[in-house]
Amino acid sequence: MLYRTAGQFKTSYNADQALFPVKQDAFLLGIILILAWVVFPMTASEFTFQTLLIPILIYALAAMGLNILTGFAGQLSLGTGAFMGVGAYACYKMVTLFPWMNPIVAILLSGVFSAGIGVAFGIPSLRIKGFYLAIATLAAQFFLVWLFEKWSWLYNYNASGAIQVPNLEMFGVFVSGPQAASVTEYYIVLFVVSLLTMLCINLTRGNLGRTWKATRDMDIAAELIGINLMKSKLTAFAVSSYVVGVAGALYVFMWKGAAEPNVFDIPLSFQVLFIAIIGGLGSVMGNYLGAILIVGLPVVLNVVAGTQVFEMSTGSAILLAALIAAATFLFGVARNLWGMAAAIGFGAVTLIYGYAQLQGFRIESALIEHINVMIVGALIIFFLIIEPHGLNQLWRLIREKLIIWPFPH
Amino acid sequence: MKHFTKLATAAALGTVLGTAAIAQELYTPNLAYRTGPFAATGIPLMNGQADYMTLLNERDGGIGGAKIDFEECETGYSTEKGVECYEKTKGTAIVTQPWSTGITLQVLPKTNVDEIPILAPGYGFSPMADGKVFQWAFNMPAGYWDAADMIVQYLENEGGSLDGKKIAFLHLDHPFGKEPLPVLEMHAEGKGFELLPIPVGLKEMQNQSAQWLQIRRERPDYVVMWGWGAMNAGAITEAVKTKFPMENFLGVWWAGHDADLKLVGEEGKGYKSISWSFPNMDAPVMQEIKERVIDAGLSQTNEEEMQGVFYGRGLVMSMILAEAIKGAQENFGTAEISPTQLRWGLENLNLTEERIAELGMAGMVPPFSTSCANHTGHSGGWMLEWDGSKFVKASDLLKPNVDGYADLIASSAAEYATSNAPWAMNEECSATN
Repeated sequence: MLYRTAGQFKTSYNADQALFPVKQDAFLLGIILILAWVVFPMTASEFTFQTLLIPILIYALAAMGLNILTGFAGQLSLGTGAFMGVGAYACYKMVTLFPWMNPIVAILLSGVFSAGIGVAFGIPSLRIKGFYLAIATLAAQFFLVWLFEKWSWLYNYNASGAIQVPNLEMFGVFVSGPQAASVTEYYIVLFVVSLLTMLCINLTRGNLGRTWKATRDMDIAAELIGINLMKSKLTAFAVSSYVVGVAGALYVFMWKGAAEPNVFDIPLSFQVLFIAIIGGLGSVMGNYLGAILIVGLPVVLNVVAGTQVFEMSTGSAILLAALIAAATFLFGVARNLWGMAAAIGFGAVTLIYGYAQLQGFRIESALIEHINVMIVGALIIFFLIIEPHGLNQLWRLIREKLIIWPFPH
Repeated sequence: MKHFTKLATAAALGTVLGTAAIAQELYTPNLAYRTGPFAATGIPLMNGQADYMTLLNERDGGIGGAKIDFEECETGYSTEKGVECYEKTKGTAIVTQPWSTGITLQVLPKTNVDEIPILAPGYGFSPMADGKVFQWAFNMPAGYWDAADMIVQYLENEGGSLDGKKIAFLHLDHPFGKEPLPVLEMHAEGKGFELLPIPVGLKEMQNQSAQWLQIRRERPDYVVMWGWGAMNAGAITEAVKTKFPMENFLGVWWAGHDADLKLVGEEGKGYKSISWSFPNMDAPVMQEIKERVIDAGLSQTNEEEMQGVFYGRGLVMSMILAEAIKGAQENFGTAEISPTQLRWGLENLNLTEERIAELGMAGMVPPFSTSCANHTGHSGGWMLEWDGSKFVKASDLLKPNVDGYADLIASSAAEYATSNAPWAMNEECSATN
């Protein structure tokens, strides 16, 4: 129906191997890009920029970096948070040592430092695999955070041990620091993230990506067909740490504004790893879906729970209903009865909650937080049960079914 | 159509905020943490803050005729959530109460641009005392540097000269724990004692055996603690276990939580904590809160918690805010004050002994006043001592010797302003202290 491919003929190999063999995919991406580049910046409030748009993009980028290493090259890493920290501290040192430096250049360069550190900590991967490698990257995590605390040159001997982002200017406009407008920060994040996403898509589709996948699927076989494992693994570490480092620089410079060393501790690594796993290992789009679920959903739930449902504007009520209907429809297409049940259930809960509020029922902020944690946890389990390969796979299945609609197989 | 798209997108992004300002209401959100690893120490403070505002709403119908909306936004002590709460509430709020040094550090530069007063009673960044530089930030009645100075004074008063003595500084390895170091180092140099900083990592809070082994080996004369959350209970139980003489163990005001000491009971006797607040159960305000708030079922607190140091401190914090609001209302002749007007109120607080007694809080907080140049007030405080079942006052009112580190405040504030340039300062302020 929506995804009918009839009439789209491929007459050459090039056409068949194009980025978007199905026209609708390109169309959909176009809509998303218009939303991201035009509609969101025009309509979003300060709150939306700071708690949804900017963090989702930054976390998606960090997860994409990790996904290159873990999802494409098969090397498990628990050091993402620390590598983000390397990027952030490198960027901080660069902009304070060379104040004339263009902030975007500094952010893009800071990835080079984390790439170097990443390769250094990737060397053990030549000898050890799987969980053992995870432990080796865990060592990087502990060592680097310790270094951020103890090496006071890194934070310019600041008494509090934290780094504070200065106000940075570019062509007379503040792009970073407290004086910068959220929309400027958003555009810079969006620009860098788009650029690196394009790079990652093409890298993973090309020669390098294929060697990574071969290494992941069976390293001995890969070696036998002539792939240099050392090169494959170390390039994966380098590219992955580069992307992660840039994400770390954006994390502090475009979003947080200040950071102390323990921000880059292991919870951050886990959060990024969860985004990559729930989004789908070995995918690019999954990172965005994962970030929306893990970073965006708690914020939205918090706002929705704190809002008086019946004070909501008609527009948002219609939109909520439409979202639930769409989810039910998509799960219906995918023949996933559990998914359908959950979407209907969510709708019912919203209705009941709205009714309760109408009757004067209010809940405490702390209770909302507890419920929020439970809902997010339950949703993670729910998505992993209905699709262990992540949200990306879920979307792929839905798309397949839509293409062959109305036939079941 | 355009209108609808705008509406719908905004809704999809979750920007529907329920907190529309209702007439004659002052919105003073509190970025509370009743969940997470620091909840145990946070809850009594937040209950105290909320209960005082409830009392004002119930008894006086708010302040100057305007009700106080003291809504809480849950942060769980997480910096990310804190910034989320700040962004969510700043639209209609007249003040922001960030409640953690981490959140304060992030919100501080933003408030200077958004022009909202940031109220951090007894915590945050010590150089915030310089009101000319930090025109929107307030940490009255006392800052961490005051605390460090008063502790050193107390030790000198009690045990004589500190020359040649050794003081271990057990602190959380975090911006909060490192705050007093400049003043302690200054005194170590001036008074000739040896300062031994012992950091406790966030991951080691509950298991401090390594730190206490070091303390046993080094045999310091005193241990001064800058701890929070689970770290305090960990340190106090470890001190009891290693038989460290409790009377030589002192903490900052955040390390004086009754529940931590109740864990060790009698064995914790002699432990001290400097404090700018005291839970005076005989104060009239306590009785009123009991009648109008707790017995009326409007509070989440209980009898035992109410007698603690932290609950009383929460009351004092809200009292400071309420007095500032009142002052601003009287000065500008309007009930619904703006953030800028509240700043004036916070800068012109004058809590004399009489005024505190009039509020029914005699003995609960030392008198202090603020000015546009002095955003801390430097009230001083009492040394509280654990007597085995509760905290009692162990000293007269101690006053920090601010002149000793006034230069340090000025230079740190100036440094902050330069590294955050362009930084808007209060150029009009002519007060010197």
